[in-house]
Amino acid sequence: MVTFDRVTKRYGSFTAVRDVSLKVEAGEILGLLGPNGSGKTTLIRMLTGYHSPTSGRLSVGGFDTVDQPMETRRRIGYVPESHPAYGHMRVREFLRFMASLRGVAPKAIPAAIEETVEALSLGEVLGKPIQTLSRGYRQRVAIGQALVHSPDLLILDEPTNGLDPRQIIETRNLIRGLAGRRTVIMTSHILSEIARTVDRVAIMLRGELLTVRSMAETPDLEKLFLSLA
Amino acid sequence: MRTLGVLLRKELHATFTSPVAWVVSAVYLLVAGYTFSLSLFFSKVANLTYIFHQIYILLVLLVPVITMRAFAEERKADTLELLLTAPIREIWIVLAKYLSTMALVGGLLVLSFSYALVLLIYGEPDMAPILGGYLALFLLASLLVAVGTFWSSITENQVVAASASLGTFLMLWFIDSIAYLLPAPADLFFVNLSILGHFTPFVSGSLFLSDAGFFLTGTLLALFMTTRALADR
Repeated sequence: MVTFDRVTKRYGSFTAVRDVSLKVEAGEILGLLGPNGSGKTTLIRMLTGYHSPTSGRLSVGGFDTVDQPMETRRRIGYVPESHPAYGHMRVREFLRFMASLRGVAPKAIPAAIEETVEALSLGEVLGKPIQTLSRGYRQRVAIGQALVHSPDLLILDEPTNGLDPRQIIETRNLIRGLAGRRTVIMTSHILSEIARTVDRVAIMLRGELLTVRSMAETPDLEKLFLSLA
Repeated sequence: MRTLGVLLRKELHATFTSPVAWVVSAVYLLVAGYTFSLSLFFSKVANLTYIFHQIYILLVLLVPVITMRAFAEERKADTLELLLTAPIREIWIVLAKYLSTMALVGGLLVLSFSYALVLLIYGEPDMAPILGGYLALFLLASLLVAVGTFWSSITENQVVAASASLGTFLMLWFIDSIAYLLPAPADLFFVNLSILGHFTPFVSGSLFLSDAGFFLTGTLLALFMTTRALADR
């Protein structure tokens, strides 16, 4: 589903991501684990097309992110770390706007919104301006805009950052609920979150991919991380 | 084209609900209306030359305030990341911003048609300079909006975007002054960069294709640079 082939990203003399190769299978939940500044966000931003790689290739569903950006972006739903949204828009209006941008046919938009609202329990805030919502609801809206076009691949950058314990559990359950139906790549610097949510973990440090492990074969992620870091 | 329509609707809503746009519009209408009334009552001459130059100055001063938020606001709120990772081309995003701002600035210019209407009702004005003047104002607005949008696309700080735009407009206004110090043909080059130099012939009723070409080429160049600025990441 997703392939990183010797991907490197440099900013001048600084190398943010160095020679990363990785494959993610369809329906899998992959966690990118690493401290702040380890290159996780840069790596997924290259996948979304927000950044271009300095060298190497990335593909989604067999389409190259640089040569066929529209094809790859259609297959991706992306939730940036800050959960951005247009605050003045009402939730329904924002979801409609994002669905239109992501190429959902006008006639299919109401059903797409309804499905998203149901999946994320957004019904009671559907008519409210986003800027008046709590942080938890704003995060759900941000995930909603990423799911409204039913993408094959969902990318979440630090999805539980700044959430309270209940919201963290809800987000984790939501992501786990997508297993098998969507491919999910999430980043986090929180060991316990990765351990409880993903099928496989890829550990990054200083822009390099150190190891990729199945969670089923990694009983003590903390120990593994400390042995590598 | 559907994408452009979706983006344009969003931009028009953002532009016309922005308090900055309404304050700027109020300032423009107040100053232009005041100047028109004064010049009409004092000179009692049915032409708008003075008004066109007044609006020229108002556009140079006010367009940076309108365009500063175009991309800077999106960059600061991280919503630009949503747009740039959606399956849409950068040019649509740029055109939607440009057209929505032109709708506001163009709307202000259309409101000033009332001055020409007053002259037509109560006098017998020479229409060539008036039509030329309005065409010049639209061409000038197009160039200024495009340049202002470009500056907004490369910073998340709205004050920086507005200052850079104003600085560029003032340089393009006075750039021909340096021609006196330069030998030929360099002097001609700088004379031809002056926006006032290309604006004035229209207001006197002389329409040259080269003057219109200057504004249109400048607009296209600025929009192209904005698109490149967005794509280069």
